[in-house]
Amino acid sequence: MSGLHLLFPEVALSVMALGVMLADLFIAARHGRVLYHLGWIASIVALLLVGVTISDPARYQGVGTLWSVDPMSQFFKMLVLLTTVLCLLLGLEYEDLPPAHAGAFNALLLLSTAGLMFLVSAVDLLEAFVALELVSLSSFILVGFERSRSKSNEGAIKYFLFGAFSSAIMAFGISLFYGVAGTTRLIGLSRSLASNPVFLLAVLLILLGFAFKASIAPMHFWVPDAYEGAPTPVTAYLSIAPKIAAMAVLLRVFTILLPASALRLTGLLALLAALTMTIGNFTAFFQDNVKRLLAYSSIAQAGYIMIGIVAGNTLGLEGVMLYSFIYVAMNIGAFAVAQLVASQAPEGAGDRYGLSSFDGLAQRSFGLALAMAFFLLSLSGIPPLAGFIGKFYIFSAAVQSGHYWLAACAVVNSVVSVYYYMKIAYHMFFMPAPDQVPLRLGPYLCGGLAVAIAGVVIFGVYPEPLVASVQASAQYLP
Amino acid sequence: MNTLSLITFIPLLGAIIVLFLPKDRVRAIQTTAIAAASVSFILSVALFFFFDRATPGMQFVEHADWIPSMGISYFLGVDGLSYPLLVLTTLMTLVGLIGSLGVKNRVKEYFFWFLLLDVGMLGVFEALDLVLFYVFWELCLVPMYFLIGIWGGPKKEYAAIKFFLYTLAGSVFMLLAILAVYFNSTPHTFDILALMKAHSAWSLRFQILVFLGFYLAFAIKVPAFPFHTWLPLAHVEAPTAVSVILAAVLLKMGVYGILRISYGMLPLAFHWFLPYLVVIAVVNIVYGSLCAMAQTDMKKMVAYSSVNHMGYCLLGIAGLSATGFSGAVFQMIAHGIITGALFLLVGVIYDRAHTRDIAAFGGLAAKVPVYGAFMFLLCFASLGLPGLAGFVGEFLCFLGAFARWKVYTAVAVLGVLATAAFFLRMLQKVFLGPLNAKWAELPDMTARELISIAPLAALSVIIGVWPGWVLNLMNATILHMTAFVKP
Repeated sequence: MSGLHLLFPEVALSVMALGVMLADLFIAARHGRVLYHLGWIASIVALLLVGVTISDPARYQGVGTLWSVDPMSQFFKMLVLLTTVLCLLLGLEYEDLPPAHAGAFNALLLLSTAGLMFLVSAVDLLEAFVALELVSLSSFILVGFERSRSKSNEGAIKYFLFGAFSSAIMAFGISLFYGVAGTTRLIGLSRSLASNPVFLLAVLLILLGFAFKASIAPMHFWVPDAYEGAPTPVTAYLSIAPKIAAMAVLLRVFTILLPASALRLTGLLALLAALTMTIGNFTAFFQDNVKRLLAYSSIAQAGYIMIGIVAGNTLGLEGVMLYSFIYVAMNIGAFAVAQLVASQAPEGAGDRYGLSSFDGLAQRSFGLALAMAFFLLSLSGIPPLAGFIGKFYIFSAAVQSGHYWLAACAVVNSVVSVYYYMKIAYHMFFMPAPDQVPLRLGPYLCGGLAVAIAGVVIFGVYPEPLVASVQASAQYLP
Repeated sequence: MNTLSLITFIPLLGAIIVLFLPKDRVRAIQTTAIAAASVSFILSVALFFFFDRATPGMQFVEHADWIPSMGISYFLGVDGLSYPLLVLTTLMTLVGLIGSLGVKNRVKEYFFWFLLLDVGMLGVFEALDLVLFYVFWELCLVPMYFLIGIWGGPKKEYAAIKFFLYTLAGSVFMLLAILAVYFNSTPHTFDILALMKAHSAWSLRFQILVFLGFYLAFAIKVPAFPFHTWLPLAHVEAPTAVSVILAAVLLKMGVYGILRISYGMLPLAFHWFLPYLVVIAVVNIVYGSLCAMAQTDMKKMVAYSSVNHMGYCLLGIAGLSATGFSGAVFQMIAHGIITGALFLLVGVIYDRAHTRDIAAFGGLAAKVPVYGAFMFLLCFASLGLPGLAGFVGEFLCFLGAFARWKVYTAVAVLGVLATAAFFLRMLQKVFLGPLNAKWAELPDMTARELISIAPLAALSVIIGVWPGWVLNLMNATILHMTAFVKP
């Protein structure tokens, strides 16, 4: 075991997660909210610890036995932690969670985050597998956390079955990998392996396992049901953190350790990317439930991010990182507004997350409607919002590497996506409001929203600091 | 002096102030919006006195790093091609805002989107960096979507989303073209001026591909046949002031793009495309005017007349001569002023009668003489009566195109006949003949309506009688642009 000190932030977060679970025993249910505060503070502490590792790379970065701690992994860890903080802020204002289990909820979310942090550093398949299982097991429970709602249970079961299935496939892939390569370590593999068909099969099976987490077609079927059933803060979390972490792994594997071009998998990856965004966008067309709509939208977004991996060049690498960052802000923002609107939807109006809950939002709370419009436009990549910068970067990676048809497919998809994103805008701005009462905005959700809107607008208008820091973080070991 | 930035971003400041005003303070919102647009207008007019008419190059240039790590800069400037369009934009925005004072519903949001739209339009004509150009280009989309979709007519939602998707579909291909140009220039750059010098290294095939990407975006905006189908719908459903902006400024962005980028950056492909462009121009002229003739709705008629008039611009461009280019730019200005005023006039009658059906009126000239006089003047200006603005533009376009395309120009002249026919038919049915008793109580124009329309009518006479001062602005630039063209 060498280089254990490199994983100090992960270890600290895991310990704090267990601490939160223990604290649950000593805190009465009516004070359950304290645990959420403990949860997000723990994430911030971990965030600061990751910051320390960036400030002193000589001491805190390097390659361990199973992991590689480098600016790229630390960048993704910070994103995952940021997502956790924002989701817990959302959780503070989410009223349907049973207060009696606040400790378990927070601990599971933090453990899942710790798993993701291990995952983005992994350079060994075994470690990646264990980290993935930690994430999966925690998130299965989180999806089913609203035990009294049948949708929540349904989502959890589907998620669990799909997850178990894909884990099995991945484990099988890893066993084949070990059989051929004689190791599970991804570093220092012999070049001759690339022509071995069993090795290729192993890589493909492993790819499927990660595709499940990143909701890449054809492993996306669980997404809409799990997202719809899960408590909204969990949905927001699932739509961001595991996805970008899985993308980070794919990025590390297919652009650095086992370049897709060397394995002649670029065409397949391009096809998957095109398929993912097309399926996501065209299915989102027909959704009337905002959570399902955003679920399909997040599938499509995964497709866009994947273009960076297909491109396989430096721009692509930076593009994936940049897009992931921006994706955090815009997706959290969209889910935050959705949660707020649904929580104050009129009673007995059927589906609270139905699009009709948004009717006339612009006349009730113009600022909130405008914020949502910004998030949606950013998701569809309209300048001058941050989403455009992300797409611009990703598309330029595709054009630079000569994937013209993939870029064309992506821009056509962006146009298609506008239609359903604007469906929400249509309800917010064009439909008459049932009443003129402004929505009540709690302080924590307001804080989360402010962070998201600042991210979307500031990095859209002046992206230079973000682009520069992404370019600085796009360094990897070994 | 960052005058161009001031002109562009004062409306944005206005929009932000409007956003923070309470929504029941209608008067304050209107004042803020009009003040912002006025300052922007006055500044743009002030540049008239500092504008060097002898310089073909960019003036009032502003250059700053915006996203240096991606090679994108904040680069503004105007020359003889863009400056007249800049003034047209500030003027029409001000006129449009004055024309919008009658909006009663959701005033705050209306003025917010309107000012935001202004920022985008101004930026398009000033931007000299392709990414900046694209950002401004897209910035026009969203406000327009909301303006049509909230305050529009019966089919507003459909018109709004159709406009949005149609124009976005065009502009995303422009984005790909921009990226292709960037990666094929050495050193990689988004600078339009630098790229104008870089094209000699590009093969014809590459230029054609890039050209088509840009052309799709511009043609949809113009709108050039067969991409014009969004326009009648959007025009008819949009509220009056928005139709004005749509016709007067947004369509010009397409023609401007063709002149600035397609012609300036991709000359080989432009030459390759000329034979098609002239056909498209003639189709626009003839087909547009025939469509206009078939309309019973006055607004739809004016909308199709825009298709027809933008055809003249394209014809002038296809002439590929200094005369033709000047004609195209002049026609843009003239069409902006005239058609803007015509939409306002149609709005005036619609506000009173709640119908725009040509057949529903009759004999109005005696009942509303002031309104009738303006309508006659501007329709004559639009159909190209000598002495009025429309004539100068059309004449120069035909003159410029005739040397190169004799037959096509001859066919296009037939379109002028049809244009005259539909305007005259409309005037006759609405204003002449016996008065339809239903409209016996129709009031004439109010002071607010006069304030917004009279300056436009006056301008259409002034630049028609004395076009020299407008042409002088663009002369040097256009001569420079066409200096290397083989006859």
